Amino acid sequence: MRSLFTLIVAYLLLILQSTVLELAPVRMAAPSLGLLVVLHVGLSPKWSVSSSAVVAFVTGYLLDLVSGAPQGVHAFVFVLMVLFARVLSVRVAVAGIVLSAATSFVASLLAALLIVLVRAQVAPEGGYGGLRQAPLEALLTGACGPIVLGLLRRLDGRIDTTRSRVGLARGPHTLGDGLHLR
Amino acid sequence: MVVAGILLLAIIVMRMSARAPGEMSTLDRGILRIVSPAQSAMSSVARAIAGVAGRYVELVHVRAENETLQRENSRLRTELLETRRRAEESSRYQRLLGLKDLTPAETLAARVISIDASPYFRVARVDLDRGDATVRRGMPVLTPEGVVGRINRVAGSTSDIMLLVDPRSAIDVVIPRTGGRGILRGKSGENGYRCSIEYLVRGEQAREGDKVVTSGLGGAFPRDLAVGKVSKVAPANVGLYQEVEVTPDVDFARLSEVLVVVAAPPAPDPEAGTRRTSPSTPGRGLSVYR
Repeated sequence: MRSLFTLIVAYLLLILQSTVLELAPVRMAAPSLGLLVVLHVGLSPKWSVSSSAVVAFVTGYLLDLVSGAPQGVHAFVFVLMVLFARVLSVRVAVAGIVLSAATSFVASLLAALLIVLVRAQVAPEGGYGGLRQAPLEALLTGACGPIVLGLLRRLDGRIDTTRSRVGLARGPHTLGDGLHLR
Repeated sequence: MVVAGILLLAIIVMRMSARAPGEMSTLDRGILRIVSPAQSAMSSVARAIAGVAGRYVELVHVRAENETLQRENSRLRTELLETRRRAEESSRYQRLLGLKDLTPAETLAARVISIDASPYFRVARVDLDRGDATVRRGMPVLTPEGVVGRINRVAGSTSDIMLLVDPRSAIDVVIPRTGGRGILRGKSGENGYRCSIEYLVRGEQAREGDKVVTSGLGGAFPRDLAVGKVSKVAPANVGLYQEVEVTPDVDFARLSEVLVVVAAPPAPDPEAGTRRTSPSTPGRGLSVYR
């Protein structure tokens, strides 16, 4: 249920990402909205590692199809990014606007580096270039990060409320919004 | 364990994609059939919002000028903007139709529904009504300004165009002034849309402003199609090849309609040799079709 809703949101965000440049006065870069979904599922304690990896794979695969990239490139990178987010969540509690924006910024830079590295393996003729626009993309992703991550946290909270209302809440995961038993 | 399996799956998918870059599975086609209409609808909405926002900015500017003339002025400006927009749209379609008429080869008009969804792959997605025509990987895509790129993937009514500024793209080009030939490649790592010519032999030096056209070699593109202009020449004195940067003639940032060449031009009439027109005839870059 949670995965399905998150994937629907990811799908809508990817469509938005692919058309948002229509609105921009100068078409140089767009925020990586799909990556923010991956960050959310990686950082949230409500998601298990395996289900967050599945969501990351599907989101990346959708982005490959939407962007015309060779299939599997974003899927592979997004699964690595979900692991990065998981490791980060153990050490840092990513909450608040500044930390969310900073995490989104760093994650976007890292994802750009990984995409270029993986692209060079899949399509060697493309070389290792393309990182010059990564900072701008990371800035835009950082700016959108708090909004999108906040929206996804709210969505998770809504799903929890609905589940507990109909008696489907699972014990070890949640007791209300933000309180977790392990 | 599950994560390792997913990573392995991603690697397998990548390897399969690298082996057959243009091919898509039934699942991929199915997903794209669902995704493309939404992309198309979102693109239309985005364009409408951009238009309204542009008009609003104009209105604010006029309001500041004069209170009395505001209403009249804004009405006239709005009308003017709308007329200009329509005229521009009409002119775009006319030029596209003109190019279509000048091209004896079978072409299909297509509308761009998204471009550069990922900055690391310069790809545009187009929506076309292909009727009975078959759209295949490698088919050239043009606008009245020049070469756009070539079809990379096809799924239902939508196709992906690998733009000539994509680092994976390679097009055989020639500089007509010097006769120098080379391979045009997209420049990765650039914010703008630029490319460079590789393997351009150091003979007569290329100059800034030199026109670059397709050579016709390689079979994918007809010769003499406009590609761009030389924007930078590296002043290196060593090496076999010149380093030349090219700015494309096509404004990819404002790409909205394109023509896909779906079939080669008809075979030339053997008796038409004497009445064949010169390569400098109008209808830029299409002399090969005449």
